[in-house]
Amino acid sequence: MLIDINVNLPGPSSPKRRPLPPQIVQFGTEELVLIELQGALEVDGNKDGQLVGNLRVDPNTKKPTMMIGHHLLEGKLVNLAKPLAVLHKHGSPPGADDGAAMEVEDGSSRPAAHATSWDVVAVVKKKMVFAKRPLPVVGHSTGKGSSAVPLSRIGSKAV
Amino acid sequence: MSGITEQCELRFSPSSSTDTGTFKLLELPADICKLIESSDTANFPRFTIIGATDEDAVLCTADKTYTVRSVVLSNSILVVTSDPLGENVEDDDEPIHEVFIRDQLQEVIELVPSVPRLHKLNSFLRGREYDEGHEDEDMGTNSDDDVSEKRQKFTYEDARSTIQASHAELDKGLRDRRILILNGELRPIARSHLTTILELILTNLVSLSLPHTAAPIATLVSALEDEHDIRSAVSRQVLGWFGRVDENRGTWEMNVDAVIREVGLGILRVYWNDPAHDKAFLAQWRKAVGDTFEDKVALPLLSGNYLTSIDSLSEPPKTLLTYFPSSELPVEPGARFAELFLARPRWKIEEISPFLADISVDAKERDKLLLKHARTVTDPEGIWYAARAKYSG
Repeated sequence: MLIDINVNLPGPSSPKRRPLPPQIVQFGTEELVLIELQGALEVDGNKDGQLVGNLRVDPNTKKPTMMIGHHLLEGKLVNLAKPLAVLHKHGSPPGADDGAAMEVEDGSSRPAAHATSWDVVAVVKKKMVFAKRPLPVVGHSTGKGSSAVPLSRIGSKAV
Repeated sequence: MSGITEQCELRFSPSSSTDTGTFKLLELPADICKLIESSDTANFPRFTIIGATDEDAVLCTADKTYTVRSVVLSNSILVVTSDPLGENVEDDDEPIHEVFIRDQLQEVIELVPSVPRLHKLNSFLRGREYDEGHEDEDMGTNSDDDVSEKRQKFTYEDARSTIQASHAELDKGLRDRRILILNGELRPIARSHLTTILELILTNLVSLSLPHTAAPIATLVSALEDEHDIRSAVSRQVLGWFGRVDENRGTWEMNVDAVIREVGLGILRVYWNDPAHDKAFLAQWRKAVGDTFEDKVALPLLSGNYLTSIDSLSEPPKTLLTYFPSSELPVEPGARFAELFLARPRWKIEEISPFLADISVDAKERDKLLLKHARTVTDPEGIWYAARAKYSG
């Protein structure tokens, strides 16, 4: 079983994709940022395009904060000890090979055993970390869109 | 509302269902990171993950192998990008207020440098040895032997996709193990046949008066093929193993020591059970390599492949040689020392060193191994290394 990993980083010649807002870029790369949460986002139902919360970076202190429903998270910038490559499964048609399903032909292993290939789409050296407990915010309007019932909530930490 | 520009909405990707599971995080060792960063878009490196279901996967670069380990995180990491559907930048300067979660990850893949895992070659290639008289079997009609017919061919391509080693390491492994690639199939050469071919090369160099520093390959190969039925595909690869092939000029520069060593090994191999007298052995070896090279014959070429002992019964005492190849000793240091001390209870440093050369990268590491697995005994003859623990009285 072989899995190819190609490096496909944006270069000067590659078509420009939409960059991230400048205040977010300082936590990752032009196009991608990693946000670490304690616990996980748990969502019921279809989550396509749904609002999770509002992300704000203080222009002076550079401190990120995130409002999720009535919870305020305070974050910080963390430099990674070792750089992380972000891999993205390469243009596989949806459903063609479901995640971990491996195409293993016993015994006869041919070059055609290339099941999937992955692209290195970014090399990141820092991340935005929200490690503290969320602070409940009472009687505070979270701005536009807050009237909608938040679909997501901070899941309890596993284990 | 203060500072609307600092604030943006964090949303799930509009294509969440197809995005989920399509991202992974790979921790990059410094050398791979440097490799990626030092190359530009035109020649980015390629990596391959190789592994069967029953083995730990490895990641290979062009010339290195890393073990792949998945580390589960207690936190989760969101992969956030701009709108995945808005492909190109429209030339409006409208600030972006939305960022999108493409995937939520709970594990990171770690890479740990590893030695190439070539040992599987041995089991894949068992019984596929190439020997004299195998020339015609490519017709595939050896119906008298059902077992060998069922045995699948193991090709170079198979090795590339199943052996957990980078291409450079695999190629070196095949060379070191003297494995031929014939019509794409991997065939380890029988050692006795290899010795025969090398002896023929030596005699032909002399009989055709070819210079061993720049022998014309075509002449040599056709002489071997016409007079000794050695296929050119075989002899060309053997020439590659034992010298430098100059493709442009079509010449071969013999690695004299390597050839003489292999011929010596071929002779020595017989004496694994019944030791040879060193003088007789050297005479036989000199005869085999011929007049031109006989002064190059020297026992140190075979170090790590023989043990010496003194036959004190003969008068005067003779030195005896026994075939004892370090390549067949265990790779694991503890087991190797056990075998060494079984063969001989105590060793001088210069005697034991050749048998540790292939499991230690340098003298410092060798001394560390000796410190750990042996103890020193000093007597008037000097320092000896002996087994660490002796439980029997």
